[in-house]
Amino acid sequence: MPQPVDKERYRASLDRLYDIFADISDTVTQVSKTRCPYVNVETRCTANFGCRNQDRSVPAGELYVCTGSDDLDYRSAWKV
Amino acid sequence: MPIEHEGILKELEYVTRPFEAKHIRSLYEDSDPKMHDIAYALIVGDNHEVDRLTRQALEDGFSANTVMDDGLIAGMAIVGVKFRDNIIFVPEVLISARAMKAGMAHIEPILSESGIEPIGTVIMGTVKGDLHDIGKNLCIMMLRGAGFVVHDLGVDTKPEEFIDAVLEHEAGVLGMSALLTTTMPNMGRTIEAFEDEGLREDVKIMVGGAPVTQEFAEDMGADGYGENAIACVDMAKVLSGVDGVVPADVAD
Repeated sequence: MPQPVDKERYRASLDRLYDIFADISDTVTQVSKTRCPYVNVETRCTANFGCRNQDRSVPAGELYVCTGSDDLDYRSAWKV
Repeated sequence: MPIEHEGILKELEYVTRPFEAKHIRSLYEDSDPKMHDIAYALIVGDNHEVDRLTRQALEDGFSANTVMDDGLIAGMAIVGVKFRDNIIFVPEVLISARAMKAGMAHIEPILSESGIEPIGTVIMGTVKGDLHDIGKNLCIMMLRGAGFVVHDLGVDTKPEEFIDAVLEHEAGVLGMSALLTTTMPNMGRTIEAFEDEGLREDVKIMVGGAPVTQEFAEDMGADGYGENAIACVDMAKVLSGVDGVVPADVAD
């Protein structure tokens, strides 16, 4: 039988999580000005749509390599 | 007690701001090694391991509060720091969020048994013709973190799919996202579809996405607009009539 939840502690937990997420939201706003948000830490593209910056010459099943430059506006490369 | 988890020790090296490092390290020093396992699995985005470890911890007698604080949120704190400092990026944050969701799936029934219900149900989707989902996914992560139940309809969502989901889940709030100026009008068309079905008064509709503005949201008849993910959470709370993090009946 699980212990009942301490409601005050739960409220404090959600407050702490809100603060963490608020910081993440701020960072997203800043980082996305210069770096495509779909590009992961290994410079691979996680988008489920086509983009001119995708280098598709990768083994099957692997994410495409992003060849975009952070100096350019990445959005113009997104196909629609 | 000293931290022995090698993975956590390595992750803590990324937390370099002195006050922050002291605070986060002390959280880990004060918590059980089993919570370190959960936190580490979350940081590296292993949702299956978070699922397994969370279930095991609860079966072992750890409270839901402890698993949340010392496992899941402690892990997310390091994820936040690593993201802020450009050590990881948005896709890695979302993978960790997926892991957190796996852990919370075991916490939520205990919350319910303790009289803590979700603060609302939100339907989220990217509108028809639009395949861009990262903003929506960030909003969903944060809405779930705030205590909402969220049903994600994915991308390229037709008006009738939004309607069906709102009816099926009795959602109080619908969130639509669009990244393209060419697909933005589909937000308005979806709102019109709710009007045509006589359902417009039954659901609050909020919109967001890079090209969307407050003015555009008002013109198309949306109830709210969120400029970013955290604004989306704040708007969902307003539209749900929740003025605090937890409804008043939960706080007593």
